[in-house]
Amino acid sequence: MHELRLMWRNTRMVVLCAISAALYAAVLVPFKVVPLIPGVTELRPANAIPIVCSFLFGPAAAWGSAIGNMIGDFFGGVGPGDIFGFVANLMYGYIPYKAWRIIADGQSPVMRTPGTIAKYVMVCLAASVLCADLVGWGDNLLAFRPFSILGNIIIFNNMISALVLSPLILYGVYPRVRAGRMLYTDVMPELRERPRAIRLAGLAMLLGGELGAWAVGNLVSTGYWIPAFLPAGFAISPYDKAIAVTVSPLILVALAGAWLM
Amino acid sequence: MPIYLYIDHRSAIHRLHPTVKVFALFVMFWSVYWVDHPLALLPLGILMVALAQTTGAWPNFYRLRWLFILLIFFTTLAWMVFYRRGPALINLPIIHLSRASLVFGFGRGLKLAELLATSVLFLSTTKVEEFTAGLQRMGVPYRVGFAITLAFRLAPLFIDSALTVVQAQSLRGYDFNRGGPIARARRYVPVVIPVFMGALRKANNMAMALEARGFGISAAPTSYIDFPMRARDRMAFAIVAGIGVLYFGIYYFGYGAIAVN
Repeated sequence: MHELRLMWRNTRMVVLCAISAALYAAVLVPFKVVPLIPGVTELRPANAIPIVCSFLFGPAAAWGSAIGNMIGDFFGGVGPGDIFGFVANLMYGYIPYKAWRIIADGQSPVMRTPGTIAKYVMVCLAASVLCADLVGWGDNLLAFRPFSILGNIIIFNNMISALVLSPLILYGVYPRVRAGRMLYTDVMPELRERPRAIRLAGLAMLLGGELGAWAVGNLVSTGYWIPAFLPAGFAISPYDKAIAVTVSPLILVALAGAWLM
Repeated sequence: MPIYLYIDHRSAIHRLHPTVKVFALFVMFWSVYWVDHPLALLPLGILMVALAQTTGAWPNFYRLRWLFILLIFFTTLAWMVFYRRGPALINLPIIHLSRASLVFGFGRGLKLAELLATSVLFLSTTKVEEFTAGLQRMGVPYRVGFAITLAFRLAPLFIDSALTVVQAQSLRGYDFNRGGPIARARRYVPVVIPVFMGALRKANNMAMALEARGFGISAAPTSYIDFPMRARDRMAFAIVAGIGVLYFGIYYFGYGAIAVN
């Protein structure tokens, strides 16, 4: 994760970050008026942009995704929950290129072999689930909205964009950006990775943590399962305290995994 | 939806120091967070209406009127599904219609609507450069502030480029409205690619122009725009802080909560 800090020293990466954010916001804001469930989420074809930018600009896209979402949030109402939205979108832009480098290093994301398609779906799903977990967890902690609404709608919304739109944009853009030597590996050649074993352990922690958080978050926020060790006062709607105790450790595991990647 | 909501009205709120406005934004989050009962949230709603009148921000509120209404309605409805406390007034499937769920859900809806109102008010009275100056005064690095400002500035340019491409393609007979929602979304991909590539062409020149002007040499660069802190800013700061303390007091002394029988 050190590249998230290092990239701010590189002027070209700062500009690419702003461009990623602006592209994301430019598609996000016009669709703010097309809510799927008002007050919860809107139609978000813009969610294709962070995935595309992640493969192209790496850490600059991660910050761009967070800033672009923040700009979009100003038009749908900012609140304490948007701090979680900022981190969630940072991860949504961060996970795809990091996970890709672990499971498909050296391969182009626009290759159309069954193997690369499966890997592409996996990295998009990993990014979408962590993003959904962070927003759902944060909003339920603040008792604004239940985890089970946000945690699922965000995965659906992100995956639709990532599977339907992102590959087409990537297919058009990736070869040109690579030819123009504007990929993050060209702009920041000084980037160094941790040993592969550590990165693989990080990926395993990320997947375990985020899938666990998603399952537990859904069960607890709907009241289907409350761990026996929780006091009775925690087992009442809106289940904010129960979510804090049960989901937070899993979120921490997922974030620690992302840090190790 | 326009990306800028700023309305040049020269009101007292417009002239406040950006740090005070950013602080006020955070205090609103803080105040709204501590109380649940709609009656406790009402004074903040009245304050928002009064400020909207003073600052001439009504056109923006009017433009988003349906978002406000739907936000409150759907949030109330969603919590009536998940907040299953208090004796049911009427037996309905899925929805638990009790006094407690109604008051809780309406309170959540009102909270989110007030957060939306705060962001609309903030954007109506604050320019982008004021926002980033406020963030920098609060410790955000200037490179991050620069990326946020640049993203805000670039987003409308990208929207304009996209509209130009849409018009050009439509003139050539390309039908953007054919097919279902997903097919229609996919038809916009040929619009995104030229916008993307145009943006990247700008990135190199922009980075060179920035470096030629010494971007990144100093950790604390000087600025042509100066925001001196005046007596009225200190007074506004004290009032805003007072609101924050008052709302925490309301929570601390047990008011503002919803009683469940």
